[in-house]
Amino acid sequence: MQANKKKQVLLVGNPNVGKSTVFNALCNKKQKTGNYAGVTVASHSGNYTYKNEEVEVVDLPGSYSIYPSSEDEAIFSKFLIDEQENYAGVIYILEALSLKRGLLLFQQIQDLGVPIILVVNQIDQAERRGITIDIQKFSEALGCKIIQTNAKEQLGIEEIKEAVLTNDFAKTAKTSFETPAEHKDFIQKIAAHKGFDNEYKAWISLSSGSDLGKIESVKDLMNESEAKSMVPKRLQVQETVRRYQIVDKILANVISKKPQFKELLTEKLDKILVHKFWGYVVFLGILLVIFQSVFFLAEYPMTWIEDLFSWLSAFTGEHLPEGPINSLVSSGIIPGIGGIVVFAPQIGILLYFLYLLEDSGYMARVVFLMDRLLRPFGLNGKSIVPLVSGTACAIPAVISTRNIENVKERLLTILVTPFMTCSARLPVYSIIIGLIISDNSFLGIKYKALVLMGMYLLGFLVALFSAAILNRFIKNKGKTYLVMDLPAYKKPLFGYDLKMVLGKVWDFITGAGKIIFIVSIIIWFLSYFGPKQKPDEMVAANVELDHSYLARMGKSIEPLIEPLGYDWKMGVGILTSFVAREVFVGTMSTLYSLEEDAPEVKVIDKMRRDVKPNGEKVFSFATGVSVLLFYAFAMQCVSTLAAVYRETKSWKWTGFQVAMMTGLAYFVSMIVYQILK
Amino acid sequence: MHLLKFQALKEKDLHKLSGFPKNKKGKILGYDNDHLKMPNKIIEMGLLPETVFRILYQAPFNGPMYVEFGEEKSRIALREEEGEYIIVEELN
Repeated sequence: MQANKKKQVLLVGNPNVGKSTVFNALCNKKQKTGNYAGVTVASHSGNYTYKNEEVEVVDLPGSYSIYPSSEDEAIFSKFLIDEQENYAGVIYILEALSLKRGLLLFQQIQDLGVPIILVVNQIDQAERRGITIDIQKFSEALGCKIIQTNAKEQLGIEEIKEAVLTNDFAKTAKTSFETPAEHKDFIQKIAAHKGFDNEYKAWISLSSGSDLGKIESVKDLMNESEAKSMVPKRLQVQETVRRYQIVDKILANVISKKPQFKELLTEKLDKILVHKFWGYVVFLGILLVIFQSVFFLAEYPMTWIEDLFSWLSAFTGEHLPEGPINSLVSSGIIPGIGGIVVFAPQIGILLYFLYLLEDSGYMARVVFLMDRLLRPFGLNGKSIVPLVSGTACAIPAVISTRNIENVKERLLTILVTPFMTCSARLPVYSIIIGLIISDNSFLGIKYKALVLMGMYLLGFLVALFSAAILNRFIKNKGKTYLVMDLPAYKKPLFGYDLKMVLGKVWDFITGAGKIIFIVSIIIWFLSYFGPKQKPDEMVAANVELDHSYLARMGKSIEPLIEPLGYDWKMGVGILTSFVAREVFVGTMSTLYSLEEDAPEVKVIDKMRRDVKPNGEKVFSFATGVSVLLFYAFAMQCVSTLAAVYRETKSWKWTGFQVAMMTGLAYFVSMIVYQILK
Repeated sequence: MHLLKFQALKEKDLHKLSGFPKNKKGKILGYDNDHLKMPNKIIEMGLLPETVFRILYQAPFNGPMYVEFGEEKSRIALREEEGEYIIVEELN
């Protein structure tokens, strides 16, 4: 049927049970995960080969039940049900410290007739609590193979691979959940009518209340009195309660407990981390440490990279043969790419911190602390995760809204998250702030750093403010609530996270590098050539920048951007940054490198010296502020737009967002420029 | 008289989860009549009748409650509104 005969297995479990760790231990090295900083949001897959068998592992979003209450859980249920023909089985991850909760979903999957292997992770944690699990008995009671792992230390991973190889997935003949007697007839009627091979599927079609992938709801098949007696929600509650009773019975025979109760790290830490006062102090402190590191720690590698590219540019300028190629390479491509690579350290540091926060379990505490404070703005505590990850990149942030159950809160979060200052804006801010703010400091803190912090704060405030306004206009559907697991703290995998971050930074450099490479070449072409100056030539080559095609195009949009205080070069920069914001810097680097014949002078110095025909500085204070504000508010990057459309499935909201943000950017920049000028 | 005493006991010891004193042990008895409006997640996460719990913390301004429950000492955050659905009694 399919060309590739890869065996597919699914990795399933509650959130925060160490699924990602198992995934990474299974699929080491050369696989590409779609995992962004933020949360394990979308399903992503990796491969490994064991004894000549190729296996594809699909890591599904964590869920507590087959009945979804949020978008990510819906993705999970749909995949599990619809792809049943295509995967070999499910590897179900259970955390030794929360067996009970995990077994609910485990039973549901088993009852669906899905072949399953159970993995009990972090047994050492349970042992520290004096809990011993009789794996032999447990396995008999559940009717499937159980593998114990400590994924962090790679224990048990071989065993999982071996079990997958030998197809040790077990299907149970009998279901744990017996259809309640009062509904038995109706369920059998449905099963016969719809052709379900499995009674539990028929039950789901009745109790889910809406379609669950291929299992369509049978609401329409019911007459009025049947519909009244079988309220989906009531049935779900009935099922859940019964399952928990079964689980209790099983666990009573399997677990033995010593009356030894050591206070775990989590309990000690939470005394401070969720404290009414100290909790917030710590959170702010962490944010401060992150930003401080982003700006100061990164300074050194940034200078090295800058120097390297200046030198490269000068070197190629000197050594390549004179002519168009020389100018393309030394003043087009190299400065363009250098303008971006220089920000890799900052982006890397920011991402690394976000990974650590997420990994350690701390983010859930932030949700707990922020919920009440975000509610007046129409947001949910869970919105803080997209908002904070939005400081790295809006795309994963928008995707990470999937665990917000309420549709309206999720939409609001998606609409305002791009206001957060993403790392692509950092290059733009840094260069403009470098141009317009002095090097002096106040109480040992540099003005430049203060202004940069101010820009981050501005983004956050505008996000909140616009959420509050939109909150009044968007209708609410469904209840808003917060019911959230507070996972045990885990020591983050520093080395592993570092590897992930380096991968992301490399993706950023190559991704942005490719775009900037192309944009640099286009810009170089458009600026190297110009409209013919002598009647006998097709085009004029090696023209003055002011006489190039690029200048012509830039000048044609000048009337639109003049009120904001921009010249045509900035206009070109802004246009190109719709591809990605950081391209602005690349474009500027290319444009300014073209203009002067001194490639060893840093681009920023050339920009500082640039003057308008009337002798005014091009990057005056007013213009600089105007550019900063434009970049703070404008919805610019096409990739974010695509992500928003994918998540909202609505052109209306995507279009609204573009218009709202870009309109705001235009008017605010214009007003501020006109006042400051 | 016996019945009256029971009634009085009931009045005294029946509470909703929201508003239950912090750091006291309590037991979930059941759910409010309105429980069909209650998010299913509450039950799915294991806040079932007979579960013993303690509210450890609450975020400021009547923010979410931090509840530790069950033999496994699971931790959950839920808002006061959700706590309204859950009927509990105090344990000694």
